[in-house]
Amino acid sequence: MKEEARNFETDLAVIGSGIAGFAASIFALNRKINCAQVGNTGAVAYTTGYLDLLGSNEETQAAIDNPWEGLEQLKKSQPDHPLSRISAADIRKSFEQFTAFLGECGIAYTGPSETNITALTPAGTLKKTLCIPATMAAGPKAFADKTPCVIIDFKGLKGFSARQVVANLKDKWPDLSTARITFPEMAKGEVYPEVMARALEVPATRAGLAELLIQTAGEAKVIGLPAILGMHRPDLVKTELERLTGLQIFEIPTMPPSVPGIRLREMFEQVFPQKGLTLIPQQKVTSLCFDADSAVLNLRDNYGPITIHAKAVILATGRFLSGGLTAHISGITETLLDLPVSQPASRTDWYREGYTDRRGHAIHKAGIEIDASFRPLAQNGKAYHERLFAAGIILAHQDWIRGRSGAGIAIATAYKAVEAADQFLHA
Amino acid sequence: MSNKKIPTINFKEKAMELLPEGASFEACLSCGLCSSGCPASGIENMDPRKFIRMAMLGMDEELSTTPWVWCCTQCKRCQHVCPMNIDISQLVFLARGNWPQEAKPSGIVRSCQLIRSTDSTSAMGLTPEDFVFVIQDVLEEVRQTQPAFKNLQAPMDKKGAFFFVNQNSREPMSEPDEMVPLWKIFDLVGADWTYSSKGWAAENFCMFSGDEEAWYEVIKKRVEAVSELGCQVWLNTECGHSYYTMWNALTRFGMEADFKLESLITYYAKWIREGKLPVNSNWNTKSIKFTVQDPCMIVRKAYGESIAEDMRFIVRSLVGTENFIDMQPNRSANYCCGGGGGFLQAGMTDHRRTYGKRKFDQIAATGAAYVLTPCHNCHSQMEDIGHHYGGNYGVVHFWTLICLSLGILGENERTYLGPDLLELIT
Amino acid sequence: MTPTIIGKPEGTGNTTIETDVLVIGGGVTGAGIIRDLALRGIHSLLIDKRDLCAGASGGNHGLLHSGARYVSNDLHSAIECRLENELLKRLAPQCIEETGGLFVAVAGDDPEFAARFPDFCAAAGIRCEELSPVEARRLEPQLSEKLFKAYSVPDATVDPFRLALENVAHARMLTDSIYRPHTEIISFEIAGGTIYAAICRDNITKSTLRIQAKQYVNAGGAWAMDIAGLAGCADVSLIYSKGTLLISHDRMTSHVINRLRPPADGDILVPGGTVSILGTTSVRTDNLETIQPTMAEIDRNVIEGAAMIPALATARYIRAFSRVRPLLQISETEDGREATRGFALLNHTSQGLNNFCTITGGKLTTFRLMAEKTSDLVARRLGNSESCKTDSVPLPKGDACRWTKPGAAPRFWYQANNADDMILCECEMVPQSAIDEIVGAPGAEQEMTLEAIALRSRAGKGPCQGSFCGIRIASYLYDQGYYHDKTGLLHMRDFFNERFKGMRTVIWGQQAAQMELAEALHCGLLGLDSLENE
Repeated sequence: MKEEARNFETDLAVIGSGIAGFAASIFALNRKINCAQVGNTGAVAYTTGYLDLLGSNEETQAAIDNPWEGLEQLKKSQPDHPLSRISAADIRKSFEQFTAFLGECGIAYTGPSETNITALTPAGTLKKTLCIPATMAAGPKAFADKTPCVIIDFKGLKGFSARQVVANLKDKWPDLSTARITFPEMAKGEVYPEVMARALEVPATRAGLAELLIQTAGEAKVIGLPAILGMHRPDLVKTELERLTGLQIFEIPTMPPSVPGIRLREMFEQVFPQKGLTLIPQQKVTSLCFDADSAVLNLRDNYGPITIHAKAVILATGRFLSGGLTAHISGITETLLDLPVSQPASRTDWYREGYTDRRGHAIHKAGIEIDASFRPLAQNGKAYHERLFAAGIILAHQDWIRGRSGAGIAIATAYKAVEAADQFLHA
Repeated sequence: MSNKKIPTINFKEKAMELLPEGASFEACLSCGLCSSGCPASGIENMDPRKFIRMAMLGMDEELSTTPWVWCCTQCKRCQHVCPMNIDISQLVFLARGNWPQEAKPSGIVRSCQLIRSTDSTSAMGLTPEDFVFVIQDVLEEVRQTQPAFKNLQAPMDKKGAFFFVNQNSREPMSEPDEMVPLWKIFDLVGADWTYSSKGWAAENFCMFSGDEEAWYEVIKKRVEAVSELGCQVWLNTECGHSYYTMWNALTRFGMEADFKLESLITYYAKWIREGKLPVNSNWNTKSIKFTVQDPCMIVRKAYGESIAEDMRFIVRSLVGTENFIDMQPNRSANYCCGGGGGFLQAGMTDHRRTYGKRKFDQIAATGAAYVLTPCHNCHSQMEDIGHHYGGNYGVVHFWTLICLSLGILGENERTYLGPDLLELIT
Repeated sequence: MTPTIIGKPEGTGNTTIETDVLVIGGGVTGAGIIRDLALRGIHSLLIDKRDLCAGASGGNHGLLHSGARYVSNDLHSAIECRLENELLKRLAPQCIEETGGLFVAVAGDDPEFAARFPDFCAAAGIRCEELSPVEARRLEPQLSEKLFKAYSVPDATVDPFRLALENVAHARMLTDSIYRPHTEIISFEIAGGTIYAAICRDNITKSTLRIQAKQYVNAGGAWAMDIAGLAGCADVSLIYSKGTLLISHDRMTSHVINRLRPPADGDILVPGGTVSILGTTSVRTDNLETIQPTMAEIDRNVIEGAAMIPALATARYIRAFSRVRPLLQISETEDGREATRGFALLNHTSQGLNNFCTITGGKLTTFRLMAEKTSDLVARRLGNSESCKTDSVPLPKGDACRWTKPGAAPRFWYQANNADDMILCECEMVPQSAIDEIVGAPGAEQEMTLEAIALRSRAGKGPCQGSFCGIRIASYLYDQGYYHDKTGLLHMRDFFNERFKGMRTVIWGQQAAQMELAEALHCGLLGLDSLENE
């Protein structure tokens, strides 16, 4: 049976299906750039739903309340940080566009405001983040107001304990209590947030759960649940449950496998093709090269090879988890083009001795270098190719984990990379 | 299943052999996305993540004997959601084949035996002669009772025909009138097609029983049949796994085929676009809502998104864009309904229905009155779980709705229409 | 004699405990001593400043030596090992996997040494059978093609954690003897050549504990010299030799594989459940507390090991760890390999004390013998004329002790087929009921850390090294009301930090991906890097 080779052309190819890749596609669509996005989409499913711009000051290790002030600080203390190279106005715009898009697609988000939101975690700790799903918004508000609230968990749900949340928040939020219920028709064995979320898309399940929630809430008017408020129409599910119960309801992210990340993945995979973007979400690009008039991406699917000719490419392939960078016993390489990777002198310096050392680990600051036009640099310090741009946490000089800045870096750099690619395409 | 002892496979070793580098069990992060997204999770207290870990922990006897391998339909959704693209279904297939015949679910084994028993390759044992007879008989009746179709054709063994069309055994055996809509469609578009008395059947229980040798034999016979008639396109009827077992077998067994493999869906879409099938949604005056089921065997495991788009184009043309509601998730991310993998014949009804609960919820969430699907097993399973869980939806094949839309659906071809649809055409 | 607790824990936070014998050091030797004593009707209290097997007992290959490794340079040790090996196989089979062992020489090794090996073994009475290279490679396909000599010997593997747990459990059963973790010796009260009390500190509650015993045993392993010093004894002379080992993701061989040459680095690969353990090195050190594997040691082990088993060069490693061996100093040498691995029992009468002794040196395989000698001395000093019974009484299986054995938890879980007994550690498939049994075991402390639970099970020992199960187990313990405040979060943080120590030097390839996800979860989401300390 012969393989079927397919070819097509596009203006902008985005390699990478994480937040940066999807953000780049959004910005490309907004700019009416003909776009194709490729990459193995799995890791988006690990995201929590929170969009961090800048949550922690890496120098003082203090939590940041005002990320815009934090960014000003960052410009001084880490001028090479990707966020230091982008104006606050652009960062704000990028978040506004990104969250607006999500809202149009049925996953409403709070927009970027002046300060971070103090958000809740499944361990009962607190986290500073900039934008959160509307389904989670009532939680931080109830916390800020210290409104009496019941945190509810479910029999059979591993890794999320209402008692844990309350035990660790109670000193700050005294009127917090816990309850455990059994999700309708899921009395036996292990239950997954994904399964509960999808079941809540069915009106009958909502009615069943609503009854239980009313019984359990007692005097409280606000309840917190693990993130299970629907998968495809979370806003509808939340509104319906609130209507049925008369309570205010919010959800808290869970550990993987978690719903907010799966929501994003499924939404992107449906919406982008509808909007005219070519999406190949299950395949890795096996090679990328540049000929006289285009970038050439090679990949495969069940039917054979696919070749994409693009006038510009954005590399947003992520780090070790998604395979954009590879850690060898001898050093770190960039997987697709073998771009030079700025990194510590030896493996001995990758990690400090203490895992939770607040200063973070040098391995995370490794990455590829870019110039002012967000083009990656080659060995000679010049742009690798005029058609090649880069975005996301593959970039050097940032520790997105300690800085609590993953989404910020992904979204803002994607914005700038698309802007630069757009300029190039119209030059 | 009998007590006959099942030999023990070394699953860790096999994973190294069968799975691509970087996507083998060593790459597993134990994150649980596979289990979370698998309808078989929890059945027999097993799930895909446990399967991997048990293989790595050397629990070979347990894995070799767990009945779960008959509940995993090998739909490959685990691979789809896994960030490392690990495919557990390949090891499940291996486990199935390792069970002695007497221990395998007898329904599946018997069906494979029947497939091999005649040149038809029919799982219901319908011989070539009987198949020819049924076709002739039904054709005669249509010609006599439906004046518009007095010259309807259902060619048999026509050498050099463009399309070689296969046929799922269920229709000729138990509901032969259900074959007629497709004949009418072919007639309308002027397709040059034929059935074959040899290798005509679509289903393939030999693959479901994990028997590679038998699977190969069946496909070999079918490939021969197509070649003998010199057809250019093997056109797969509305049956999911028949496409997959044929298409996958060619690569897997390195077989030569000098014809193309195509799905009816591709051609429906093509004919509608070309105007040859002048369907429209004007008949849907009551705005009856429809959803569509993406069969794993055709979409995720084979064609991918392109055929899913074709299906939706067809549905929208048939019922009206505003009357089509997509299931969630869908396309390559769709849940297996639980009808595949031989589950319908495995005699594990309770497990099969437990498996199907997610599908039921998907359908219920759409609020649709009907599910359209180009797959027999999906059709049967969705019907069954609909009754079991108290749903109020019907399940129809595409050919039914196409003919309905064209106003040419015969009296005996309306078995799967509910009163709401019936009242619109009588 | 049952212990008396005198004094109130409130207010001053002081408690006094009385016992017959205080044993300091929760390695296998210390555990073995309290059991030996209990079999003679004697009550004891075992303390450790951390937890069981925190020293060399928990950081070795897990090798139950046939003795063949010492035949060429330490005949005495070789014979001791042979005898103890046979005894333990008979009396504690639940802690042992009889894998058998191979000694292999590859191109570049000394053929003379290899040829004389059987004679050395014969002198020690150790069964040794030559195999042709073809036979050896049929048994173990991973062996190098450059192999030219192979012998099979009765090596086996042993689970030191289970061994310690079972000994402690049996002692408790016999005479209510107690084990207290995170209890550190601070000073002794001595008068007239007799120790009257040991002053200890609980490292978690920070409260002081006064232990009044008739006899005091220093089984502190590498810390024995320091502990003896606290009692004013200057006769314990140890040199410290650090050893580093690696754990591979896969079990590479079914036998223990030894290099057939005079002992050097990277000589041994030992199977342990579903993994293999490669090592070791021997580096003189003065530091007992913050020893870490170095990149150089990792690389050396890998290179040397790969000479025997080429696949070690490209294997995925999930963990590396270092421990300190205490070696009796008999001569000044470079790396400590020449120092005897025999043990010594010091009665300290030369130091003016009449109820203190130190047992030191030795190896895991001979722990029972070391405990026997120590217990003989202690019993005599107590006026107890019972003889040792550990050479004849089998070690009973304690329920809560069964979870350290690789594969035990998943097999139990599969058999039980209880959907509501959910698996908390997915990598090693440890279910809730195992955790319940561990935290509810007789003698278990009131609030166990995750590390303590992990020690008593396989939780956290798989590829994810606890990064997911640490969260799930903590959540479960909160659900159960076992954890009920912020301390649970500190336990999580400490657990991940502890696990990380073992991973740090082997983070590349797949491990780098795993670590990125883990850190994103622990720090990025849960903020365990910014918890305020108590």
